[in-house]
Amino acid sequence: MSGTQATRRWRFLYTPKWLGWHLLVVASVIGMLWLGDWQLRRAQAGNSLSWAYTFEWPLFAIFAVFFWIKTIRDEAHPGDEAAPAEVSLPAGTRQAPAAVASRDAGEPGEAEDPELAAYNAYLARLGKEVKGHGRWHGLR
Amino acid sequence: MRLNVILYRVMAYLTGVVLIVLCVLAILQAFTDDSALVNVVGTVHGGLYIIYLLVAFPLSRRLRLTAGPTVALLLAGTIPVMTFIVERRISHRYIDPALAALPAPAPPAAAPS
Repeated sequence: MSGTQATRRWRFLYTPKWLGWHLLVVASVIGMLWLGDWQLRRAQAGNSLSWAYTFEWPLFAIFAVFFWIKTIRDEAHPGDEAAPAEVSLPAGTRQAPAAVASRDAGEPGEAEDPELAAYNAYLARLGKEVKGHGRWHGLR
Repeated sequence: MRLNVILYRVMAYLTGVVLIVLCVLAILQAFTDDSALVNVVGTVHGGLYIIYLLVAFPLSRRLRLTAGPTVALLLAGTIPVMTFIVERRISHRYIDPALAALPAPAPPAAAPS
């Protein structure tokens, strides 16, 4: 990936709309941390309920940052979320080891064939790679 | 996706109901001067809201909501009655079309609105 391409991908972050959101997130995170600090002071002053909020507010601040990062990343890579868990065809890759295993099931004694294990590991790796990918159709 | 929608609806109603109970109790507290129950319900709502956020945010990403509806969705858990309204709107406008488009394997442009 070239530098200019990467720059272009992230350029949307400087648009007025996004700058507004950045500002909002920063302000709300500061606000939430301040509220957490305020609750901590109240808790130390003897308000036992405030202990719960002392931990909740920073947690909400972390959520805000996390959600913000996730949103920005999704915006920069729109294709990533295209195929979540609903990819249908890795089923084939998952069935294969089962089929092989059932064929070998008639012979007890041999717990694990190293070759079969390696093959299964390969299939598992393949399945994992394909999962977020969603373009398996043409390859079969 | 389906699981996420179910979890979201459960959390939306649960959080919404507890929040309304909390509001009623807070109003009553003005007359009775007993804060223990309000404190407990308030803490429960805080915890539920955390779970609500953890469920609602992934849903907002799955539905590809823009920033406005996302913020509305996330903040709904803190405003009385808002969870019910937002849940309806989001269901009508985003969840139902998304679920309708699910079983069909191919085109994303299939759902006419």
